[in-house]
Amino acid sequence: MSATPHASDPAIDPALYLPRMARILEVTPLTAREKYFKVELPEPLGHRPGQFVMLSLLGVGEAPISISCGPRADNMLEMVIRDAGSLTHVLHGLKPGQQVGVRGPFGSGFNLDDFYGKQVLCVVGGLGLVPMRSLIQPILAQLDRFASLTIISGCRSPAEELYRDEVRAWERLGQETGKVRVIRLVDRTQNLPWDGQVGLVTAPLSSLPIDPAQTVVALCGPPVMYKFVLLELTARGLSHAQIFVDLERRMKCGVGKCGHCQINHVYCCQEGPVFRFDQIAHLPEALQ
Amino acid sequence: MSAFFVHKEAVTQWIRHLARSNTVYFPQRAGQSGFRFKPVKETTEIQFDRYQPTLAPPGKKLAPAEEPLFRYRKQGDAAPELVPILDQSPRILAGVRPCDLKGIHLMDRANREGHGDPHYLTRRTHTILIAHDCLQPCDDSCFCDAVGSLGWRDNADLFLTSLEDHILIEVRTGPGETLIQGMNFPVCTDVAAVKSRAEAQRAQPFGRQFHADLARIPAIIASQWQAPVWEKQVERCFSCGSCNLVCPTCYCFDVHDDFDLTDPNAGQRTRTWDGCMLPQFAEVAGGHNFRPNPAARQRHRVKRKFEYLTERFAEGSFCTGCGRCGRQCTTDIDIFNIVNDLIDHAEANS
Repeated sequence: MSATPHASDPAIDPALYLPRMARILEVTPLTAREKYFKVELPEPLGHRPGQFVMLSLLGVGEAPISISCGPRADNMLEMVIRDAGSLTHVLHGLKPGQQVGVRGPFGSGFNLDDFYGKQVLCVVGGLGLVPMRSLIQPILAQLDRFASLTIISGCRSPAEELYRDEVRAWERLGQETGKVRVIRLVDRTQNLPWDGQVGLVTAPLSSLPIDPAQTVVALCGPPVMYKFVLLELTARGLSHAQIFVDLERRMKCGVGKCGHCQINHVYCCQEGPVFRFDQIAHLPEALQ
Repeated sequence: MSAFFVHKEAVTQWIRHLARSNTVYFPQRAGQSGFRFKPVKETTEIQFDRYQPTLAPPGKKLAPAEEPLFRYRKQGDAAPELVPILDQSPRILAGVRPCDLKGIHLMDRANREGHGDPHYLTRRTHTILIAHDCLQPCDDSCFCDAVGSLGWRDNADLFLTSLEDHILIEVRTGPGETLIQGMNFPVCTDVAAVKSRAEAQRAQPFGRQFHADLARIPAIIASQWQAPVWEKQVERCFSCGSCNLVCPTCYCFDVHDDFDLTDPNAGQRTRTWDGCMLPQFAEVAGGHNFRPNPAARQRHRVKRKFEYLTERFAEGSFCTGCGRCGRQCTTDIDIFNIVNDLIDHAEANS
């Protein structure tokens, strides 16, 4: 006799790995290696700051990409993508009107409730500004709900600066409201014109006029940056519970199955990529 | 549920009978390379007594080495056609040993957590498990009793226990019951007596045993992050990933797209097995590798089996003790020895 199957499993999500198709509306180079993409989805993405999507091109592949815009009611999704591999290289050749696949949003993200009423300090290095913008935008949109916002943003040289005009607009907003401070740094000017500071993002931390007891920090940058920024913040008297870190890992699924993003026992795509630092500070694989 | 006590020859005929209208996998000798789970044919030898662990565990039938996730066809400016590929073909896995039964249970847990994996779970829904007890350790490599797999029964649809020239068939689920309908097998009137007679034959101790209780092992391993054991145990590791390939609870994967060579607008997204012992597994864009050397990767594999997943899913162990990784390792690295070395090192330094 033929076998009868088990009862259908309610856990099955048939569309789990199927992308929704989005149309490219805008592609703008930000630097020699990074391009800004604005795409339109069939419906609002419904994301939190700090979440990510799995972005794909049919026939090429799929990769995790940070969401660069704050939560929004329309169907738009903004990303900044570095030409760093086969998928991102093909993406750099796309034009408005062409389609990309999107799954997500995935991951924990930042919760604005952790930041309301606080002196918010965002420390970013290089591409870290891309996901951090998804937190900065909603803070700026309701600035009266925060004590202040300080952004320390560093990159290697003036040629690698991202969101150049927008960051200066944040700076001007700070001069008007007195609630926003933007510190822009480069490691080296490389003989290019530069209107900011020269140095590492750790440099301004020791003398920053903040009240450690009232401060909440969001941190995103290359792995090497975290250790030194955390040392400075600890020296200022901040506890690990006041610091949120946005981490990067290899990911192939976004849904806690492929195993690539594991940080010790933690799944970066599920419990992260944003973590309150005291929850992962004890994990040896968290930062290196 | 019901139970039957059936002559072995009748059980053999029943398995062949099932194979006429179902795909039935049963462990069969495959040349010099040991046993494999292969489809039963009319001429297949069905025997339960001379078992050797198969090269790959039967659970891999639910998560094949390569499988399509969906097919696509681009349609110009219009939305492409996307068709998920879900395998609803029915199959029976017969002759599954308790270690591999536990392995499938653990794969079920991982695939059902959070976002349920549709490809694994669809296959699982259409898979019936006929398990068979072990009364002797299959060889010197297994340690199923040490990790609590030997007594595993939970997800069997039918559970078989050999006693001399008969087999006790215990029916555990509705789909299992369907398979014996119409067979007119003699009912077993005293299941407990048959089982106790069979279990009296069980070797004691059963296979290799750890130097500490299983319940203590996650905490012991957690305390040994920097133990010299990791380096010592992988001096000869090639990072080939064989241990991942044959593990009943390794399920990590990679994803890539294959386009159709005859139609550049069509193709499929495919996933393939990946393994945490392979050097690039934890490397991110920009080249930083979070587990750059074999010792770090081996530590991750051992901790997944005995600490990380064990605690995440509140299971006694995510290692089933089947012994396959040790048997297949090209340089004789054995996870059992790693764990015992860690226990010894912890005891010596406590």
